[in-house]
Order: sequence, then C-alpha cells, then structure tokens
Amino acid sequence: MTTSDDRLILIHTVIFFICRSAESNNRCTDGQQVRKIYREINRNALADSQHMTTVHIPKSVMSAPFLQHPALTTGQRRYLYSIANVYSTEHMRRQMKQHYLNVLHACLQTGQNPNCRRRLQCGENGTVPKDTEKDSEARAKPQGRRKAFGKAIHALSRIGDELWLDPMVKGLALRSVNTSHSAYACFLFSPIFFQCYNLECGPEQDNQSIKCKLTLKSVLPLFRCLTSIERNVERCQISIRTPSDCVVIQFFCRHGLIKTHNLCFQESEALQAEFASHLCPNVLKAPARLLGDMVMHFPVSQEEITLSTTPQRVSLRNYYEGGNDHMRMMYTEMSLHPDEFVHFQVGVDSDITFCLKELRGLLSFADSHCLPVSVLFGAAGKPVCFFMEDVVLEATVVLATLSDSESDPSQPTASPAPTSRRCEEAATAAAAAVPAGSHEAQDIPAVMELIPSSQGSPILHPPGLMQLLPQCDVPDGLGVPGEGCASATPASTPICSLLFRALSSQQQQDHDGPSVLACDSDAEDETLAVRTL
Amino acid sequence: MPLSTQSQADDEQYVLVASLDNARNLSNILKAITFKDHAIFNATPNGLKVTVEDSKCLQANAFIQAEIFQEFTIKEDVVGFQVNLTVLLDCLNIFGGSTVPGVSTALRMCYRGYGYPLTLFLEEGGVVTVCKINTQEPEEPIDFEFCSANVTNKVILLSESLKEPFSELDMTSEVLQITMSPSQPYFRLSTFGNSGNAHYDYPKDSEMMELFRCNKTQTNRYKMSLLKPSTKALALSSKVSVRTDSRGFLSLQYLVRNDDGQICFVEYYCCPDEEVE
Repeated sequence: MTTSDDRLILIHTVIFFICRSAESNNRCTDGQQVRKIYREINRNALADSQHMTTVHIPKSVMSAPFLQHPALTTGQRRYLYSIANVYSTEHMRRQMKQHYLNVLHACLQTGQNPNCRRRLQCGENGTVPKDTEKDSEARAKPQGRRKAFGKAIHALSRIGDELWLDPMVKGLALRSVNTSHSAYACFLFSPIFFQCYNLECGPEQDNQSIKCKLTLKSVLPLFRCLTSIERNVERCQISIRTPSDCVVIQFFCRHGLIKTHNLCFQESEALQAEFASHLCPNVLKAPARLLGDMVMHFPVSQEEITLSTTPQRVSLRNYYEGGNDHMRMMYTEMSLHPDEFVHFQVGVDSDITFCLKELRGLLSFADSHCLPVSVLFGAAGKPVCFFMEDVVLEATVVLATLSDSESDPSQPTASPAPTSRRCEEAATAAAAAVPAGSHEAQDIPAVMELIPSSQGSPILHPPGLMQLLPQCDVPDGLGVPGEGCASATPASTPICSLLFRALSSQQQQDHDGPSVLACDSDAEDETLAVRTL
Repeated sequence: MPLSTQSQADDEQYVLVASLDNARNLSNILKAITFKDHAIFNATPNGLKVTVEDSKCLQANAFIQAEIFQEFTIKEDVVGFQVNLTVLLDCLNIFGGSTVPGVSTALRMCYRGYGYPLTLFLEEGGVVTVCKINTQEPEEPIDFEFCSANVTNKVILLSESLKEPFSELDMTSEVLQITMSPSQPYFRLSTFGNSGNAHYDYPKDSEMMELFRCNKTQTNRYKMSLLKPSTKALALSSKVSVRTDSRGFLSLQYLVRNDDGQICFVEYYCCPDEEVE
C-alpha cells in the first residue's frame, strides 16, 4: 500500500466515526453520506497532497509497545504515533521549553555581541595562544551560575577521575564515568545557562564537535572553594582551542585580578551512555530534597543501598555484601508512601542495589538547586537512571545495579554486575582485575562507537546493557562472596559463609573466568562482542 | 613573681634581656619564617633580627623592633647566636595554644653571652616555666647585596589579593615565574604544572595595587619549593612589597601587624632559577 492510500484510509476512518456520533439518528443514510464526504476529501486530499508532510516515527519510539502489534501497517503505525505524540506530555514540555529558550535567546542576542567582541580582543593582546581558524568556543557565566557549575564538577569528581567536556549545539556537556564503568554522570548546561555561548567551527572541522578529556584532578582545584568563587569571581570564561589542544579557563575576579588556567586535554572518543528511559517500567519522581533527606540517614561510609519498590511503598535500606558480620551491622530501612512522590509509576516490583557514594554528588547538587529527581529503573540487574532538569540544565546519573544473583544463580547473564568503586580499590583484586580489565579495553571501544548512532540496537537489550555497564564485582577486604570469603569470615558465622559459598560456587560453574568472581567469562565476551560488532 | 625578682638579681650577667607581655607577638612572627630548623639571632639596640636560610638561595628575616618589647636591654653593640628555631617555638608555646581572651603567656628572654644557653622564662596564670636552649656559633648570614639602588621593579600589593593565588598555586610546577612590566601584563605570577599552566594577572590600576613602579619588563623564575614557605608570612601580613633587581633577585617584604597593633617586618630574599634563558 502506498502512503497516500494509507492517508486516505485514515481520513476515511476518522470521518466515519465523527459522522456516526453526530448523526446517530440518520443511520440509513450514513453510508451514502460517508461516501460523499469521502469523495470530497479524496479530491481535496489529492489537491493538497503536495503540502502534506509524511509522519516519521523516530527510532526511539519504534520499539514502543503500542506499535508492536503484528497486524499494524506502516500507515497505521504512523497514525498511532502522531496521536501519541500530541498527547505526550514530554512532547509538550519539550516544545514549551524550546519556546522559552527561543525567547530568551532572542532577548540575549542584543546584549551578547559586545561581550564576545571584548573577549576576542583580550585574547589577541594577551599571551594566551591565538587561534586563527580553528574551533573556538568561549563563554562567560552570569552571576550565581558559577557555583552551579562548580557543584557539577564536584559531583562529577565523586564519580570518576576524568572529565569529558563536550561542547554541542544544544549545550555544554560535562561527563564522567568511573573506572569500572559502573557509574556514569552527565551534566548538560544549555546555552541559556551561559552569558555567551559560541561554537565556531573552523573550515576543517566537520560537524563533529570536539571531545576533550581532562583529568578532574586538574579541574577540581579551580572550583574547589565555591564560596570564594561566588564572592570573588565576577566572570568565568571557558574556551577550547583545538590547535593547541588546550582548554582555557579564565576567572575574572574582583579588583581586576585575572586568573588564567591553560589545561591540556586529550582528544578522546565520545562518552555517552544510552539509557532507554521510555522502556523503564518504574518511574519515580521525588520532590526536591526528598531523596537527599533519605540518604542522609545512612552513614557516610555506606557503600551500597537497596531500593525496593512495590505499588504500595518504596523503601530504601542499606546493603551489605557477604554473609559476614550479621551481628555487627546496623540495618537501616526507610519507607515512603507513594503519595510522597510527584510521580509514581511502578510496573514491576523490584529491588535494586546500587552504589550510594556515587549518587551523593548528584543529590547534593539537586538539593542546592531544589530540583525534583526522577528515578527510572527496572528489575535488578538493569541500570538505574537518576535524572533532574530545569530550564537551563539537565543532570543524569546512570548507575549499574547488582543483579539478583542469589535468586537465580543459574542464569549466566546474572553475572555480578558492578556497583561500588571499591571494585578497583581492592587489593586482593589485583589478580582478578587484570583479565577483566583487558576485556574491558577491548570491548568498550566497540560499544562506544555504536552508541551515538544506534538507539534501537541490540546493545539496549539486557545482555548488551550488562556489557555496557559491566565489570567485576571484585572481592574487597570486607569479606565477599567467593573464595576470598572464607579467609575473612569469622569463625562465629560459619553457616552464613558456607551458604554463600555454596551459591557462589554454583554461580562460578557457569562462568569460565577466574574463580574470584570476575564477571564476564571469555566465552561470553566473545559472543557479545560478535553481536555488537 | 619569680620573673621580677630574678631580673634585679641576674640582670648584671645578662648581655641581652628582652621581655614581652604576650609571647605570641614573637612566636607568630617566628612561625612565618620557620622552614628550617636553625635560626640566627642578631640583636642590636634597634631590636631583634632573626634569620633563616635555605640552601644558600633563600633567606628569610624577621625584624622585631625594640619598641615592641616591654623591656629590651642590650649590653653590647651586637649580640649574635644560633638556636634551633623549632625548639624555641615549642618553648614559646609551652602553655598550649589556648586562645582564652585576657590570658597570655609572658616571656622574658635572657642571654648571658657566648657559650651560654638562651634562657626563657615563661609565665601564664601564675605558673612559671624556665627553658634553657643551647646556642651555637652564629653563622654569617648571606649578603644578597640587594640594595635599593639596583631595584628595577617595585610593586606594593595588599596581601589579601595574593593570599588566594598563593594558596592555590599548582604544586606540580617546579618554578614560579614572576613577570613585572610597565606594559601588559603588569604583574603576573605563572606556574607550569603537569596539567597545564596557570597565570595570575594583576592590573596596575587595581585597588589592591598600592604602588606600581616598573621600569623594565622582567621575567624571572624562582624555585617553587623555596617560595612556598613565604605563604605563611603572607597569611600574617597586611601588605607585601615585591622587588626585583637587575640580576633578577627577588625581595619580598611583608608588613605584619601583631595582636597589639604594632608593626613588624618579615622579608624574603630569593635567587632566580638559573635555567631561565
């Protein structure tokens, strides 16, 4: 069937329904009237067909549940999508936001130019390297925003050691990922956030934006003391100059002091984690400070917490690995009623365990901005996404969750997913980390290349997701399931450790990897790598 | 009580007697130059000069005028000795660092002469402590031959503006480069560290700049490890003068106001790093 036929049929269907409801008493003439209307519409449609635009379904919606019925034709699918699009609140919100941004942009345009010109002049006179033709993108920040930017950097420093700066048309993205690839954070500042946001592409640069990687160790000290930044810094300017491969961060402070920091960066491949938010069965939106207030009750040293959701309540409790020291731990559990949430949608009862330390940075950021936090997640083992946004910025943290290995030890994909950073810190892990690490090095680049372009690709499926945010649940000194467990277990709790040991050894039979719980066996890696490539 | 009786009896034998109602006035200044263990004390009728040197490249001097002391008696023209500065500071703070208002440690410092130890009488709240610190042969402090006539560039800044940059200086950089020039950039501190370089530019017309007298554009590098100790002096001071001479030697002079509002001076002399082209 051709497109135009589809369209006609669609229109026919719509008109038919309208007629039926309006003229229910003239049932015998319905058919005639409909045919007459149909003919008129037909004529009009043919005349107007040049002006009609085809409805295109974006790839992200292609896999939506309501479009999956096998009997649907393409045209019907498009129709359904167009209806859904109109009623989607996301769409409405996006449009309103875009409208607001357009209005702000237009207002700022008038005041924008003098700043930019001045900035360029300063650059030429100073000893900062001049860039003649390449990409240069500089911006200055209005008052009150510097602190937000600094807080974002603080939050990212809790996640990983490196900072990816990604200037894009839709804003400046700051990203970080931890070494075990189990936590990813992205802060996107829209152009409105900045007083002046310039992306100038030189002739050689195609539409690929620069992706530069800085160490957080070199950036964090510049933003360490936020109160002094608020007090002393009048303007902050960040420029990226490609010929010299350096990021220039300038602070224009009180009394005329100018601090210029030239940081060298490495070009690196893009870092972006794809998270299919529309596929998450569970979505919670907590009002500002709710989550921050909840996690405040856990000790600072608490590594992981478990979030349990049922349609009746949401609870947070601390999580301790291993069966050890049951007697010595303090268990804390907090429950919330669904009414406390702005939005509460629980499709699947789930218990997810993730690393709290990495989340704290984002929660303190949300608290300082009084932003509600959305939590999107699924069953255990699938990553959890914490998301917040306001008009000028968006922050996302994606954390891997512990898969429910105890309940289903025979499942090969229930390989212990990574959670805490102590994975890489563990001294005992040295031996196990090496083979796992080398897998990582091979696999991640392959996955990374696919990410920006594919959204419905296999990597979104559970095994693929595990690959994206995988890594070893490596034993640490605390006492851990696996062989390390035995040595750390105190004699008083032999039963717990034996049980655990039994389960984990059963698990290990499914993997070919080293016995100390390296996550992906060789065979699994190869098959996954083949699939993604 | 014991202090006053002792003064009448033993004054004859002491070549140098200095008394302070608040020992903190002395200990704070000395903390600003404590980067090495040994200090050379040089007392003249004008006051006390304490010198600390490091690897023949850096010299720090603290000047405490005679007027600061409640009693300052010196029998000879010049009295010099060398003591372990860390020990001296420990003794001065022997009653702990308590900052209870109104309670201060009184100090009476006495020196009998060559070969005798330095005697400290410290009293707080009726409790008296006597400390005797062995003295050594005073070394001759280096004369950097830094005279006002050779000064090419001079800048006086309010310490407030330098405190933050100095505390944030990139420690991975081996040198601190100071550029002074009659044209842009007027006064610039630069570091070259592992992650990149940083520049701190001060304009000549800023409110923080009390005096700006630069005749020639000069760029000099100094070892960061030598200049980092001066941060302590900077923290205490209210004003700092930065001077360089024709050879590139650096002189930093800090004006320090103590608890009672009296003025003391601390000065640092530093040799330039030879690798500058």
